[in-house]
Amino acid sequence: MDIIVYFKEQNQQLYGFIEGEIDTFTAPKLRDELENIKFNENRDIVLDLSKVHYMDSTGLGIFVAFYKRALREAGQVKLVGLSIRLRRLFEITGLSDLMDIETDKEVEIN
Amino acid sequence: MKQLETQYKKMLMDYITYQSEKNLYIAQNFTRQLIQKNVAPEDVVGIHKNVMKEILPQTSNEEQHAYDFLIEVMVQYGMTHRAHQSLLQKQAEYDMEMKIAADIQKTLLKTIVPQLANVDIGMVSIPIRKMNGDYVHFLAEDKKYVCVAVTDVIGKGVPAALCMSMVKYGLETLEYTYKEPPYVLEIINRVIEKSVDDSMFVSMFYGYFDIQKSTFSYASAGHEPALHYSAKNNQFSTLEAKGLLLGVLPDTKYAFNEVTIEENDIIIIMTDGVTEFRFHDDFNARDLITTIIEKNKFLSAQQLCTLLYEQIEQMQDFKLSDDFTVVIIKK
Amino acid sequence: MFKTSVEIMTEWDIVEARQIGRQEAKMLGFNTVDQARITTAISELARNIYLYAEVGTIEIERIETEGEKRIIITAVDKGPGIQDVRKVMQDGYSTSGGLGAGIPGVNRLMDSMVIQSNVGEGTTIKTEKWLR
Repeated sequence: MDIIVYFKEQNQQLYGFIEGEIDTFTAPKLRDELENIKFNENRDIVLDLSKVHYMDSTGLGIFVAFYKRALREAGQVKLVGLSIRLRRLFEITGLSDLMDIETDKEVEIN
Repeated sequence: MKQLETQYKKMLMDYITYQSEKNLYIAQNFTRQLIQKNVAPEDVVGIHKNVMKEILPQTSNEEQHAYDFLIEVMVQYGMTHRAHQSLLQKQAEYDMEMKIAADIQKTLLKTIVPQLANVDIGMVSIPIRKMNGDYVHFLAEDKKYVCVAVTDVIGKGVPAALCMSMVKYGLETLEYTYKEPPYVLEIINRVIEKSVDDSMFVSMFYGYFDIQKSTFSYASAGHEPALHYSAKNNQFSTLEAKGLLLGVLPDTKYAFNEVTIEENDIIIIMTDGVTEFRFHDDFNARDLITTIIEKNKFLSAQQLCTLLYEQIEQMQDFKLSDDFTVVIIKK
Repeated sequence: MFKTSVEIMTEWDIVEARQIGRQEAKMLGFNTVDQARITTAISELARNIYLYAEVGTIEIERIETEGEKRIIITAVDKGPGIQDVRKVMQDGYSTSGGLGAGIPGVNRLMDSMVIQSNVGEGTTIKTEKWLR
């Protein structure tokens, strides 16, 4: 079980693609990758979670931490491609009211 | 070192003469002694080299050089090996400290399930690792009320345990506000938001069961919804309550909800360790829970909790991936 | 007292420092095993300079007074410095790589060690071994 994170910059947006399972073991890697992202006013951050098959609460914590930093540093973050299961996790925790979340929509990028 | 060299010389000479298994066994025991005395590998080679020169004086210069070469190699090898040994020892110390900390946590965060005349309460809380990330807090007065807070700290290990202690003391200092679930969550949220790092949060379900009025009021901070079994209708309903996790934003508000509780009704409050089935993608854990409860509704609250744990553990092949906590209240 | 100094700029300088260290140790009367230890210690310190400080020197001192024989190795660099000297002395720190790697190992090979470091200015590591 591992996790892959990679980024593509296009049309003033930084796309982050996350693939794999986010749990206690893979979470530190994801956290490091997200911590390296620099926010800037002219660029939106879009994180694609369509290839995340599993996420536990540790993973959730990482996204919240990322969101809180975005809030402080005036960055724009959007999560896309969430499976129903993942979406449910964000709903239960009340985070879906706070964060910009889109379900099951593949990000088109060439 | 000189004494070891003498011993080694005798053993080696014996072996060269007899080549018996007994000689080798003695050598093995000698090695134990070397390790015990913390003799470095390069010293062993050094001993061997010196002894060889004594017992076979005709050894060539080339052979002596070869030993010197081996000594060089062994210095580096031994250095790394010792660092490794010392790390292992350190780890053992940490493990010991962790165990002590876990014991302290267990004592500090021990939950006492209230025994009430008209209400039957049961609880199971099983940590997956040494430290439990779930915590249940009760406050009760017989024939009047019972409050219950079921919490799950997101984040693991020591920081989570410390955060949990904060939650506990927050709940203990509520005084007269315990009857207002949204207010309780707002207070605890402020406590946590101020003092916890960005990636640590707490989910909490807080319920207030007014025994005289037979009402159960509740609020949820990002917690797994509770279940309500109505005996009269033989039906389950979800106690949905929207609300953000504790510790994310400072001034979060929580919604007030209330249901009426009738004779033989059951309330089931759990953490996501109960409903999260990592390797059963399409499996609906809630269906399983409601089926088990419905079939065994005549059992006591404690028996029901234990049964749920056993069945769910079995379903997951005895490999739960999260702390497991369930509280059941039966009227 | 006899003192030699080698400036460490390339890997060949590490070899040279080793060579001088071994000669001095031999002259003092250290046995082959201790010679190997002293040389390995020099090698580790020199490698740290080479990898992380770019420029620095290794000083080798032979002390021979009556009743006392010892070798002193001093590694001086003007590199980035070490933030937390105590941490560098702990095993496990070296596994993360970086400046100060292998210091606990060197400490074990030698008899005493003193580290002085200022962040942004450089590091001086002085280590000794006595002949018994």
